[in-house]
Amino acid sequence: MRSRLKGTIQPTSRETRHAVASYPSARKAQQDHDNFDTNSPGLWAKPLAKPVCARFLHCMNKRATVVEITDLHKSYAQLEVLKGINLSAAVGEVVTLIGSSGSGKSTLLRCINMLEVPERGSVRIAGEEIRLVGNAHGRRPADEGQIRRIRSELGMVFQQFNLWSHLSILDNVMEAPLVVQKRNRAEVREEAMAMLGKVGIADKADRYPSQLSGGQQQRAAIARALCINPKVMLFDEPTSALDPELEQEVVQVIQLLAEEGRTMVLVTHDMNLARTISSKVVFLHKGLIEEDGTSDEVFGATKSARLRQFLAAAGH
Amino acid sequence: MLDLLPEPLKAWLGPDVTFWLGYFTNGKHIAFFVSVHYTVLAALLGAACALVFGLMGAALWTSRNPWLRWPGAVYVNMVRGVPDVLFFLFFPLAFEQAMEWMRASAVCTPEAAAERAGQWPPCPDANIFFSTYEYLALACVSLGIVYGAFAANVIAGAMRSVPRGQLEAARAFGLSARQVLWRVHLPQMWIYALPGLSNVWMLIIKATSLLSLLQIADIVQLANRLGAPNFSRSAGLVHGDWRWGYYLVLLVFYIGLTFVSERVFAALTRRASRGMAIEGAAR
Repeated sequence: MRSRLKGTIQPTSRETRHAVASYPSARKAQQDHDNFDTNSPGLWAKPLAKPVCARFLHCMNKRATVVEITDLHKSYAQLEVLKGINLSAAVGEVVTLIGSSGSGKSTLLRCINMLEVPERGSVRIAGEEIRLVGNAHGRRPADEGQIRRIRSELGMVFQQFNLWSHLSILDNVMEAPLVVQKRNRAEVREEAMAMLGKVGIADKADRYPSQLSGGQQQRAAIARALCINPKVMLFDEPTSALDPELEQEVVQVIQLLAEEGRTMVLVTHDMNLARTISSKVVFLHKGLIEEDGTSDEVFGATKSARLRQFLAAAGH
Repeated sequence: MLDLLPEPLKAWLGPDVTFWLGYFTNGKHIAFFVSVHYTVLAALLGAACALVFGLMGAALWTSRNPWLRWPGAVYVNMVRGVPDVLFFLFFPLAFEQAMEWMRASAVCTPEAAAERAGQWPPCPDANIFFSTYEYLALACVSLGIVYGAFAANVIAGAMRSVPRGQLEAARAFGLSARQVLWRVHLPQMWIYALPGLSNVWMLIIKATSLLSLLQIADIVQLANRLGAPNFSRSAGLVHGDWRWGYYLVLLVFYIGLTFVSERVFAALTRRASRGMAIEGAAR
């Protein structure tokens, strides 16, 4: 199965729509995108293998909260990185975390799937609280099974891609669905190829990560995260390790996902990306939320002097 | 062996060639050739044991639990410092006597034990005689324990060389600790471990020359016997000191083994470096 598509899919342009139509899996993705009703953000862009919400009543809520962070504190030895963060992301929302280096935005993202365990505060995914035991630095997940189950519903994309270098691109994408979700191989394979088609690298399925450019690797990493049918996509500075040219191909994929109505939490230094795709922008400063609001509010009517300073430095 | 050759062929070869053919195919020489399998078996099984001990030692040593980490550290650091010859003598003897002690407590009557006070084994029934292959097995385990400590050190270093991000990504996708180990950590570890493990393998090959210490008539011992000045009552001095010739054959044999090993390790490295962007890994 070889994609006749070269480069990324740009769903907004007429020509690419035509090109998309020639690749079956990508066409399916495009149709889902077209049929997506933006007036009902509680619905999902594509049918999922598992039910979206843990509880039925939760699904009835139109703007169901998928990620809910309450009073989160995280420190390393003496250094307090997060000093009490409250944050939530509803179904279909794109929440963008911005802030200068060291403001704690990556740490906050990594607390969502417990790659970092916070000393205080709680994280709820689709209404289910991640149970933690112990105090302070000894705090750890109470139930490894719960952590694994929740992680298998959160698609994470890393700054350094972190594709497993001993596996081919296709095997990378198929790994978690097969090993963690224990799904059927043939079905996973088909979906993996569709996801690779969606990010425009179906023809690279048999290559190893080291044989791909940075942009292609990051798109493969996005396909890997998509293939687990995540409730939320977590992006940790997905374009920071790429040069401007390669950055664009990844940005286009992220924009495509935002338009599909995927719930995403995104950490980025790319202010253009933050401005265009965010439903909510959160500016972190020294471990606290300095300012948050819609894209227009934060970028158009900036209230905080620090954020104004930060945006000026970022060229806005 | 010479009897198997047809007469015309013998006549054509001439008396000199037939003599040497006969000499090199006599019983002692056949035993010499056959004894190569002791060396090869000891090397292969010893290496297999070393790998198992190495993986276990590395797992203990890198464990977070101090009750596991300490034995691992003691094993790796102490055993590496013990001369292999000493351990080669110590372990099989200790094992044999431990077996005899256990057997003595079961089979020896108090009267029989009293009769042989101060002697070992406590009674004749408790005496254990190991066959050559049982000694070989003990030798392999001894090699495994000694060189497993080296392998553990190599493997522990290789485990630490796998980039953190690779493991973190696996955890982030919900793989369990065991799945992370078997599906990401170990497969990626080999490329960092292979250069060190090839060193350990070479050391194991060399250590197989110690087999004769355990009553195994291996190539080194037989070369020594065959090459030594040879008297017989009927014929007088058959030959003088030919040991240098036999030792030369052994040298060539070990060099050949090294050459083959190098090829095998190159192939293994190619296999382990698939997709791994490590400079100079694939030759």
